Amino acid sequence: MSGRIELDRPRCEGHGLCEEAAPRLMHLDDDGDLVIDVEEVDGADLEAAKAAVRVCPVAALRLVSA
Amino acid sequence: MSTPLESDIDIWSDEIVVDPYPAYAELREQAGVVHLPKNDLYVLTRYDVIRDALGDPATFSSTTLGFNPMVNEALQGTSLASDPPMHTQLRATLSENLTPRALRGLKVVIDEKAEKLVAELVAAGSFEAIDSLARAFPLEIVADLIGFSGHVKDNMLRWGQAAMQVLGPMNQRTQESFPIAGELYGWCSSVKAEDLTPGSIGRGIFDAEARGDIPEGTAGHIIHQYLGAGVDTTIASIGNIVALFGRHPEQLEIVCENPDLVPAAFAEVLRYWVPIHIWGRTTTREVEIDGYTVPKGAQIGLLIGAGNRDPRHYENPDTFDVRRNPTDHLSFGYGPHGCAGQGLARLEGHAIVSALARQVQSITISEPVRVPSNMTRSIESLRVLEVVAA
Ligand code: SF4
Repeated sequence: MSGRIELDRPRCEGHGLCEEAAPRLMHLDDDGDLVIDVEEVDGADLEAAKAAVRVCPVAALRLVSA
Repeated sequence: MSTPLESDIDIWSDEIVVDPYPAYAELREQAGVVHLPKNDLYVLTRYDVIRDALGDPATFSSTTLGFNPMVNEALQGTSLASDPPMHTQLRATLSENLTPRALRGLKVVIDEKAEKLVAELVAAGSFEAIDSLARAFPLEIVADLIGFSGHVKDNMLRWGQAAMQVLGPMNQRTQESFPIAGELYGWCSSVKAEDLTPGSIGRGIFDAEARGDIPEGTAGHIIHQYLGAGVDTTIASIGNIVALFGRHPEQLEIVCENPDLVPAAFAEVLRYWVPIHIWGRTTTREVEIDGYTVPKGAQIGLLIGAGNRDPRHYENPDTFDVRRNPTDHLSFGYGPHGCAGQGLARLEGHAIVSALARQVQSITISEPVRVPSNMTRSIESLRVLEVVAA
C-alpha cells in the first residue's frame, strides 16, 4: 500500500510533533511553517506518515491512499 | 444496536473528583459509552471513542461544552463553544499569538524564569510547592504575556479557577463560583488596550481589533479565554510534576540522566494525571458509539483521564513511566478544538521539568492535598520536606 500526505495548511499551528514522528518526511522551516518533504509514501515511510498523522494535535494532516 | 448500559456513579461526587481513577476503570470496563442517570449524562470512557468524538465536531457539537445551561449560554460566540465553520475563524485569531512560531522568542525567558525559581526553592531546602512554584510560575508567565498588572494580576488565580469551576453542573461549587467568574467576565467586557502592558499579546489583540482583523468587541472575549483556560490547568500540571517526581524518585533520576526525556516526561505527567476531568459535547444526531445507540441531543461527557489510562491503547497504563513518550495522550483534547494554548503549556512544563532535572537529585514530599473541583483536578497544597540538590 502507498499513500499521499495532505496538509490542511490553515489548520496547522506549527506544533511540530509530526516532524518528530517523521523527520524524513517533513520539517518546520525557519519561519516555523511546516514543509512536507516527501508527499508520496510507502513501506517504512508509510508507517512514519501514519505516526505523524496520529500525533498532530489539531488533526491538520491526512493520509490519502494512493 | 442497544441502549447504553447504566451506572449509578455520580461523576461529580466529592470522592470521585478527588480520586477519579477507580471510577474511570469501572466505567471503562463496562463499555465505551455509559449512561449516568444521576448526572443526566452519557460518558465516553475509552481512548478510541473519545478521540473519534473529538475528531468529529459535526456529530459531537461543542455548543454544550459546559454542564449547565447558564454557562453554555454565556459561552455562545466564543471559539470554545462554537463548531466549524464559525469556529475556524475564531480559533485562528485565538491561536495566532499562541502558536509555537509566535512563542519562539519566549522560550529563553521562560527557561530562565524556571531555572531561577527552582534555584531559589532548592536553596531554601524545603518549600510549599503549589504556592511557590505551581501557582507562582504560570501566573507570572501568563500575566506578562497577556499584559496584566496590578489588581488584575492579583485576581488571576481566583478568576481562572472560577472560570473552570462554572463549567460544571449546577452544584454548590458552580453556584459559589458564578459571582467570581462574573467579575472576570465584567472586567473582560470593559478592558481597554491601555489597561494592558505595551508590547504584550493582549495589546496585540486590541491592535488586531483596531485594524479590523477581528470583529469589534471580540478582543475582550479572547483575553477571557486565555485567562479562563490557561491558568488553572497549568497550575494543575506543574503541581502534578512535583508530586509525581516526589512519589517516583527513580523516574526523576531517569530524566536527570537523560535530559532528552524532558518532553516525554511532561507528556507522561499529562497522560497519567489529567488536568481536566471531563469535557462536554452534545450529539447532533442519533449516533452509534461502541455498538450502543445514543440519542440526538444527548449531553456527552468525555472522560479524558479514563481514555489516557485505557489498557487497549497504552501498555501498563497505571504505571508512571517517563520513557513512554505518549505524544498522543488526550489531555490537550484533539482535532479542531485541541488546546490552543498547548504550545505555551509545553514551554512552561518543559521548563519546569528541565529545571528540576538539572538542579534536583531527589525530593521528599508530604501527601498531596486535593480538594474537590468540577473540572480541574489539581493539588491544593504539597510540602516538599527535603530537597537533595544535584
Ligand atoms: S503536528 Fe500538526 S499542527 Fe503541528 S506542525 Fe505538524 S501538522 Fe502542523
